[in-house]
Amino acid sequence: MAESVPATSLLEKPAQKAPVRTLVIPKPTPEEPVKTSKAGRPFWSGSITIGLVNVPVRLHTMVRDRSFSFRLLHREDGQPLRYDRVCTKDGRVVPWAETVKGYEVRKGEYVVFEPEELKAVMPESDRKIRIEKFVYYLSLDPVYFETPYILVPDRSEEAYSLLVTALQDIGRAAVGTITLRTKEYPVVVHVYGGALVLTTLRHADEVTTPHAFEELTSLPAPKESELALAKRIIGELSGDFSITDYPDHYQEAVMGLINKKLAGEKIVREEPHPEEAKELMQALQETIATLGKK
Amino acid sequence: MSGINYSQMAGSKSGYGKEPSIRDLTRVSLTNLNREMYPALHVTKKEVITYYIRMAPRMLPFLHNRPLTMHRYPSGVGGEDFYEKDAPQGTPGYVELFIRYSETADREVHFVLCNNLDTLIWLANLASLELHVTLSSAATYDSPDLLLFDIDPEPPLSFDDTIDIAHTVYDRLEDAGMRSYVKTSGKKGLHIVVPLVPGYRFEEIRTFAHGMGKTIARDTEHVVAEFPHSQDPGTIFIDYLQNAHGKTMAAPYSLRATDRATISMPLAWEELKRGIRPEDFNIRTILSGSNDPWRDIFDNRQKIGR
Repeated sequence: MAESVPATSLLEKPAQKAPVRTLVIPKPTPEEPVKTSKAGRPFWSGSITIGLVNVPVRLHTMVRDRSFSFRLLHREDGQPLRYDRVCTKDGRVVPWAETVKGYEVRKGEYVVFEPEELKAVMPESDRKIRIEKFVYYLSLDPVYFETPYILVPDRSEEAYSLLVTALQDIGRAAVGTITLRTKEYPVVVHVYGGALVLTTLRHADEVTTPHAFEELTSLPAPKESELALAKRIIGELSGDFSITDYPDHYQEAVMGLINKKLAGEKIVREEPHPEEAKELMQALQETIATLGKK
Repeated sequence: MSGINYSQMAGSKSGYGKEPSIRDLTRVSLTNLNREMYPALHVTKKEVITYYIRMAPRMLPFLHNRPLTMHRYPSGVGGEDFYEKDAPQGTPGYVELFIRYSETADREVHFVLCNNLDTLIWLANLASLELHVTLSSAATYDSPDLLLFDIDPEPPLSFDDTIDIAHTVYDRLEDAGMRSYVKTSGKKGLHIVVPLVPGYRFEEIRTFAHGMGKTIARDTEHVVAEFPHSQDPGTIFIDYLQNAHGKTMAAPYSLRATDRATISMPLAWEELKRGIRPEDFNIRTILSGSNDPWRDIFDNRQKIGR
């Protein structure tokens, strides 16, 4: 989340010397999933191309990043800090107009590029998702998956539906390429929840091969008895995957803290309150007495 | 850290006899006491810690010098969990450690020894709901002093069937001149344990346990003695494989990470009757005052029979 909204300034109790603190709360994220029909502007529109067949589609983002970010403040006055582009030589702030892109070839040596020069080599977006092959979805390893997008038919419901059904029936996914902004990506299109989902893939050189680790090149073969035991344990722990089993505890905890702060509570490390710890202390006293007798 | 002065909070700095603070009783700094460890029953960490404090007089003699494996549930049952053999960063000084080179890990492992009350409280505070111990003590790590039969029913067999088989194991051990002890695993089955005189090798006791399993399997319906059949429906496998270096079992009175907050409950053989259920013994039902059937276990070390 890029934006943060300064919402409330809370004053500490007057008796305390603590300075004014600004509380900055991230924009609340919607609880309800976005409704497809009102999903806003598409991220991209074009068509799926399979040979001579075109299926016009719109691409909508699928992943909502629910994470929040903290803003860095000046402790003294609680005001947000700004990042400036500062020249490393003279320490002056440099306006955007005076900047240029450079690629470091050797320490301290740069080749400089004008925007037009870079534009010239950018892949041209021809608004096509070019399908080259159909593969079993499970034959693609998740290490290559980058970002999923939902494909929505663009007045092409019949062709879209045909593609969904055909892929589903034969259990395959389509692989090909797409150009998004300035980059060409390998992609896979598969059926998820009755829709076509396009996932951009990482290029081969972006993923480390396990052979890069020496330890992994000479693994010993497991003993048969141990292997059988391991398989048994795996069997016992086997189940169906459900992503809702894995809530984001840190996010929940921080949101809880933010709400507490907003309610005016001061956050301290939790210590047992005497009343709260009564049972605990009673148990402790009794146990210490019992152990002492032994 | 941001400590709170209780006497100030209670406004009783002078006056009445000073209330003992929790810090006078334990060196452990307790955290997140209200976090739910067993969401289904709303059991908080405070209850878990209180439980272990109450069980300490029974647990400490058994845990003494026995390398521990912690099974931790930082956000409670249902949340993320992990096993930990190594003392974590920031382990306080009152926790005794046993340092031992591990071949599987190819490095030194710093095992925790629960040799005092504060260590047990510290473990509970780490949300180590389950405490697992090796079958040998740190002093004689390569030589087991416990023999374990782990028996679990495969459906459609039930816990009642497991109880019947446990009595059969008990009888065979008695025939071989050995007194055994039983506890619920806290999950599906039962653990039958024989305390041993020093000097055995794991291989010897494993062979003995396997042999006993084979004898029982020959004469008893449903019982299987070989691992490949351990998951056959309608069987009970007499698991002898746990009798091995570095293997662990749930400590007696250890909580288990089940919905019902069950514990691994030691029982007298005459209490082990059809009709009881593992979930009868849980954090809410155990009375600390009741008798401890495993009290004399280490006064009763034995040789393995024929």
